[in-house]
Amino acid sequence: MRSRVGRLLAALAGMGIAALFLLPLYWAAVASLRAPGLPPASSVEWWPQQPHWANYARLFETVPMARYARNSLFVVALAVPLTLLTASLAGFALTQLRDRARRRLVTASIALLLVPSMAVWTFRFHVLNAFGLVDTLWALIVPALAGGSPLFVLLFYWAYWRIPRELYESARLDGADAWTVWRRIARPLARPTAAAALLLAFALYWGDFSTPVLYLFRPQVYTLPVGLQLLRQMDDTQTGLLMAGSVLMTLPVVLLFIIVQVAYLRPRRIP
Amino acid sequence: MISQPGSSSAGQAGTGAAWIQRAARRLPRLTYRGQATLFLLPYLLGTLVLVVVPALMTLGVSFTDYHAIEPPAWAGLDSFRRLAKTPLVQVGLYNTLVFAAAAVPLRLAAALGLALLLGGRSRSTGLARAAVFLPTIVPETAYALLWLWILNPVSGPLNLVLAGFGLPAPAWMAEAGTARAAIVLMSLLQIGEGFVVLMAARQIIPRALYEAAEVDGANRWQGFWRITLPLITPWLALLTCRDLVVAVQNTFTPSFVLAYGGPYYATIFLPLLVYEISFDFTDLGLASAVLVVVYAWILLLIWGVRNLVEGLRGRALSHEE
Repeated sequence: MRSRVGRLLAALAGMGIAALFLLPLYWAAVASLRAPGLPPASSVEWWPQQPHWANYARLFETVPMARYARNSLFVVALAVPLTLLTASLAGFALTQLRDRARRRLVTASIALLLVPSMAVWTFRFHVLNAFGLVDTLWALIVPALAGGSPLFVLLFYWAYWRIPRELYESARLDGADAWTVWRRIARPLARPTAAAALLLAFALYWGDFSTPVLYLFRPQVYTLPVGLQLLRQMDDTQTGLLMAGSVLMTLPVVLLFIIVQVAYLRPRRIP
Repeated sequence: MISQPGSSSAGQAGTGAAWIQRAARRLPRLTYRGQATLFLLPYLLGTLVLVVVPALMTLGVSFTDYHAIEPPAWAGLDSFRRLAKTPLVQVGLYNTLVFAAAAVPLRLAAALGLALLLGGRSRSTGLARAAVFLPTIVPETAYALLWLWILNPVSGPLNLVLAGFGLPAPAWMAEAGTARAAIVLMSLLQIGEGFVVLMAARQIIPRALYEAAEVDGANRWQGFWRITLPLITPWLALLTCRDLVVAVQNTFTPSFVLAYGGPYYATIFLPLLVYEISFDFTDLGLASAVLVVVYAWILLLIWGVRNLVEGLRGRALSHEE
């Protein structure tokens, strides 16, 4: 009896918490359908009275949103697969090293998690400039060569480390090289981790605001986050327009989140 | 495509993978460990070029006078002396300390509370878990803009809700104190990382411990204080160190987009300060001196985490046994 009441309370609390965390996004979605020029609301609008979809179309007329979207898609299309490849290979390689080297590199990677990007902003500019990458989209893509973030390398490392060593060893004894062991044995057993890393990497590159602000100056190479900021600078009273831009930008991440969640990350019942 | 393991993937990624495979076959002379080390090279080299080299340059330039036009001129500790005398730097550091002191404990408390509440494996809380994580991956510019609307003092939903309850309606981004509070509030909904880590940390606590405690007559509250909290503490400490970096770093976009450091410099935090000095003033000597202070702070945190990791090793982190 007590447990049934407890479960009901837990479910109610869960719904309340879910509502709280989704509320900002919901309010933005409602506001994105608000017609311009309406008098300011005197109470919270929980539903758009007359959905004004034109806000979304006007987005593309006000600033070159289509070009920014193309640039963002280009970055994501190259950087996300590259990140997954380099991070997965590095994470796998860590599990195959001798104990001492492995421990040192894992500790170093954890230490790297504590280095914020601002710590190297100033002179990364000079490094990128030396390679001719400043003011090109490659400035946004090039971190993918280093696995995107040490977090991704560590995620893959922990996933591959949980796989029983005997599987790697027996493949090795059969004459498989490291590439084959990674491809045929390690990778298929760590799909949920790859899915989680895919989602996080997509969110990282898609939403990146500081890199373009720091290293891109020509409007032709601006990405969506910069486009949104331009929209805000032009006129920050156009709430409908700004919210339409925010919703449009958030939608791909939410869709990917749902796909990954349903396909890989649902908790499975343990029999 | 590369993330999806399959026997033969079609398209560009497939040919790319095949090319790498052929290249890898051409290196058969390498030992197995040698091949594995090769896999590490992009990560190690990339980190060297993109993190270590800029950090060393920062360290060097902090002892010079450098404005990006003339080559750096040796200036000894001059930049550090200016650091102590520049009001903007003092304001930025002060704001950052205030922000971190408020945001980090609240973020961790929220992440821990939610992880304990929703951490079970039941399906009824699955939706809540997903909802808690979602704001963390919302693109930061979009997130900042939607708060610009929510925090609108006149027609924003937050103040309308507060007014509905008869509560006072703050001016949010228009006043120094409430502007900082608003940035803390925004950061409280982006706690997905700590939430996930703490759920995992809790799930690896053996159930037998709780069962044994129950046999001994302990109630749930005692179970939390005597079992859960002690076993979760190293993870909390680890997350505290990371949050002291991440939460501060993540103030960049909100403070840039919402008020550009205003009103009256109230939301100039470290990242915006570094950006201003480096890219607007191009006073690279001073910017480097600020960053050297940041490095000292990071090294202190790393030292703390190193000790923690040593302590955790053999438990969950590496499954040594």
